[in-house]
Amino acid sequence: MKHLSHTLILLPLLLWAGCGDSDTASASGAWVWNLPDTVPPPRVPEDNPMSEAKVELGRFLFYDTKLSGNQTQSCGTCHLQELAFTDGLAQAEGSTGEIHPRSSMSVANAGYAASLTWANPAVVRLEEQALVPMFGEDPVELGMANMEEELLRRLREDAQYPAMFADAFPNQADPINLDSITKSIASFQRALTSFNSKHDRGSSALTLSEQRGKALFFGGTTAAGVPDALECFHCHGGFLLSQAVDHDGSEFNQQTFINNGLYNLDADGSYPEGNQGLFDITNDPADKGKFKPPSLRNIAVTAPYMHDGSIATLEEVVDHYARGGRLIESGPNAGDGFDNPNKSSFLNGFDITEQEKQDLIAFLRTLTDEELLTNPAFSDPFAQ
Amino acid sequence: MKKVKVFLLGLAFAGFGCDSASTGGGGVGTQDVTIRFAAMVGEAEFVCGDTYGGLGADDASLVLSDFRFYVQEVEMKNATGVWVPVELAENKFQTGGVALLDFEDCASMGNEDLNELVTGSLLAGEYDGLRFKMGVPFEMNHVNHSTASSPLNITALFWNWLGGYKFLRIDSGQFSGTDWRMHLGSTGCEGDPMVGGVTSCANGNRVEVEFDAFDASTGTVVADYAALVEGAALDVSESNPEEGDDPGCMAKPADADCAPLFENLGLSFAGSTPGPQQFFSAE
Repeated sequence: MKHLSHTLILLPLLLWAGCGDSDTASASGAWVWNLPDTVPPPRVPEDNPMSEAKVELGRFLFYDTKLSGNQTQSCGTCHLQELAFTDGLAQAEGSTGEIHPRSSMSVANAGYAASLTWANPAVVRLEEQALVPMFGEDPVELGMANMEEELLRRLREDAQYPAMFADAFPNQADPINLDSITKSIASFQRALTSFNSKHDRGSSALTLSEQRGKALFFGGTTAAGVPDALECFHCHGGFLLSQAVDHDGSEFNQQTFINNGLYNLDADGSYPEGNQGLFDITNDPADKGKFKPPSLRNIAVTAPYMHDGSIATLEEVVDHYARGGRLIESGPNAGDGFDNPNKSSFLNGFDITEQEKQDLIAFLRTLTDEELLTNPAFSDPFAQ
Repeated sequence: MKKVKVFLLGLAFAGFGCDSASTGGGGVGTQDVTIRFAAMVGEAEFVCGDTYGGLGADDASLVLSDFRFYVQEVEMKNATGVWVPVELAENKFQTGGVALLDFEDCASMGNEDLNELVTGSLLAGEYDGLRFKMGVPFEMNHVNHSTASSPLNITALFWNWLGGYKFLRIDSGQFSGTDWRMHLGSTGCEGDPMVGGVTSCANGNRVEVEFDAFDASTGTVVADYAALVEGAALDVSESNPEEGDDPGCMAKPADADCAPLFENLGLSFAGSTPGPQQFFSAE
């Protein structure tokens, strides 16, 4: 019944979408979301309905080094399944060796992001976002800029792709094009849902320590007697464990960007230049240091943490929030993030016992979805 | 030398196109028009890969490689002073009223094709003025780049992290971290996941150009790099003391390198009141 109800909800959408563009959803296997009742399906653009064939093609493209200029990297190079589609690095390294100012984000549940990447209100569609790593020059990631014809040639000459594209885009005479590439990758990413963690099985599935940590996370009173001392859930609440959520039923733009006191270089609350978050887009000094609060799902396997990977462990992350901002005593980034003028009002610091800290981390570890990390449907088809 | 010949050939065709204007293919009551553009660096013609000295505030020398820009809303002024839109022809350099002027044929992010002409048609009549914008209209700037027609499908002119196209791309060098680069497009854009795209941009950054006197049969629109960078610090080793501040200007309002360039383009920079643009002139 669970799956049937979702199919019925989705059916009008699929039928409607089928009337529009050439990519009919029913072409090669109608798509069925594998989601718990508590989670709505992601928003699916009208011009890119889901299908089994498209998701499978997207999986191949996601892991194929043909998508980088020098054929050394794929999307999967920086988004490894076993690390919940992150790379374990503080800052990502592009195909030409350029170091990205930011840390690779998890791609799991990317279909639910109100805005994509760390701090960009303009990028709201996965299809559009895929163009950034492919063709971006500042920094170079996959390094495909000015090589679009070469990319299409590589795919057309491949033994498998012509048939796969034809299957995924059955109404197109010449289906190997940039649009079908980004639509397929986006469909694969929308399929990367991750809601099968221990946390999703309810409090009764949790140990006492995990239950205590969950209570603290969602507003419980600490040993010091302070209710909602930790205030985690204000930014990391809801089914996604991120306030910056969008889905099929969203009626409001829920983009969210907050400053969590990592840096405070000057009176404006500056972060290191070139990595100032929302400010880099808006140029509003009040936006310095504001980044999207990412989903905390699978957080235990996505270290290091923060937009620049500058915190190595969950223990240190808790210490950071307990202090209410990071103190950097010397060097070019010296300053006390606690005093950052743009800091969120939820970051006031808190007293936490060692036991409470361990309980909180135990809860965070229940957010790991082991199925996501091992599901063959999400795995690298080129792996030996 | 080869480059000069190509340029002169362009001139010849441009003149021919204008002479035969009144019987052109634009339809009844219309005439064809060809508007010639040229890329210069001060007094010298821009040639991809050439070295130019005496540039900017610090008398810098740069090897220039890329020089491309889009124009939109091309209009000509008739005898009664009314601005009449030019309907641009559809070809690989023009689509939907947008044209790409392409003066590079050696850039690592470029191609061998060149385009120095904007072609189209407008109501039959006498015209003595020209205006246009350097840019891509909002409604074309923020739609699916993957399905756009040429010249809006050139990935080196995609600017997806800011949600649009590079309206202007002028690079030095061959794509290394120390190259001085100028990329201009809309900034400060906001999107909405329910709309599925960009809904507004704080800074459109479209350069408005108007020549009260311009005869398409004899005139040329000159884009002058030296005028663009007048007053700007171009010496990369000096202008790049801080980590994260790339040499040149990627149109970021917080990048001080951009201030003189925006002024020369007649664009507001970080709240400044813009003056007239200096980049384009009519000859």
